[in-house]
Amino acid sequence: MLRLLHMILLGLFGAAAIHIAILFLLPTYSERDVWSAMANESGLNEFVRLGEDNADPLLAERQNPFFDAAACRFDLENGMTRIASGDTVPFWSFSVYDRDGFNVFNVNDRSATERGLDALIVNAAQLLELRKGVPETLATSLIAQTELGEGTVVVRVFVPDSSWQAVVDSFFENLRCEPL
Amino acid sequence: MLKTVFFVAFVLLIALGGGAGSAWLALESTRTVGSVEIGPWVTFPKQGTHDADPYSRARSARLGLLTLGQAEGIVLVAASDSAGRPLLRECSYRLEGDLPPARFFTLHATDPNRQILPAPARFTSSLHSQSLLWRHGRPLSVFVAPHPHAENWLAIEGSGPMRLVLTLVDTPISTGARVGETDMPTITRTGCDA
Repeated sequence: MLRLLHMILLGLFGAAAIHIAILFLLPTYSERDVWSAMANESGLNEFVRLGEDNADPLLAERQNPFFDAAACRFDLENGMTRIASGDTVPFWSFSVYDRDGFNVFNVNDRSATERGLDALIVNAAQLLELRKGVPETLATSLIAQTELGEGTVVVRVFVPDSSWQAVVDSFFENLRCEPL
Repeated sequence: MLKTVFFVAFVLLIALGGGAGSAWLALESTRTVGSVEIGPWVTFPKQGTHDADPYSRARSARLGLLTLGQAEGIVLVAASDSAGRPLLRECSYRLEGDLPPARFFTLHATDPNRQILPAPARFTSSLHSQSLLWRHGRPLSVFVAPHPHAENWLAIEGSGPMRLVLTLVDTPISTGARVGETDMPTITRTGCDA
């Protein structure tokens, strides 16, 4: 009897250890990683439209039928990253994710000058550099300060109905993700 | 000798089975560590941020989610009606009540694997607040049903479990800890196809 209790107790301790190990190792060993999926599809500083047209199931997943999204990988070691598009849409927002997929910065069109998308993703050192004197072309840009090296930015646009599709497509066609 | 082998095997069985099983349960179930429930609606306010608990972190890593940021919005998922019965595609439901303030919201139906459901004919299993019929002074009411309905109708078809996903875009409730204190629509089952 005591031996059975001993076995069960030992087993439960083991179960707790394995539960915790799975929990903390999952983020490290997970293969569903957007960065890697994107790396197979495109280079750095290129926007990829997310949605049904992608071969990779992770990029093909649509989280909301009314939102179109595009993602771009960047590396701040190569300089600041500017994301901008000339067109205006009913609603846009973007999120910056770090290499592990954590959301580190997000903003929507309310914060932008005249609702247009024109933003700079910078790290602390680059922000200091900017403070010394902002070039005139970047004067109205929204500044996203992060502590990143590599990261992913995802731009989401609201498509109220199919009549807006052409406008949204043109927004994404003009969307640039360029190192400065 | 055989006794020792049996001892070790039994302990390992409990450890591996119990550990993996409990971890899977904690990550799969909709109501779990880190979730906030408002009636039938469940949300994970800190998911995908550095403030998230280890369970939320493991869950996002497993799904490879690109979670919405606070400035973008908040996603609430219902897998059961207000009476606690699971949502089924062959049943009709009525959503009624006030929503938290938001710039706009979208509502769509998915299967348990988060794939958007098909809808009959030219309809879609999704609605957004700018395409709804609002009645002055009355709370919002939306019918989720396989058969056509007057007023706001979200079309579904087929059979099996489903989930309703409500995305509140640009809402003040996504910032701060006030998520649990807000009002959400109730989901009432009005009938089922036999």
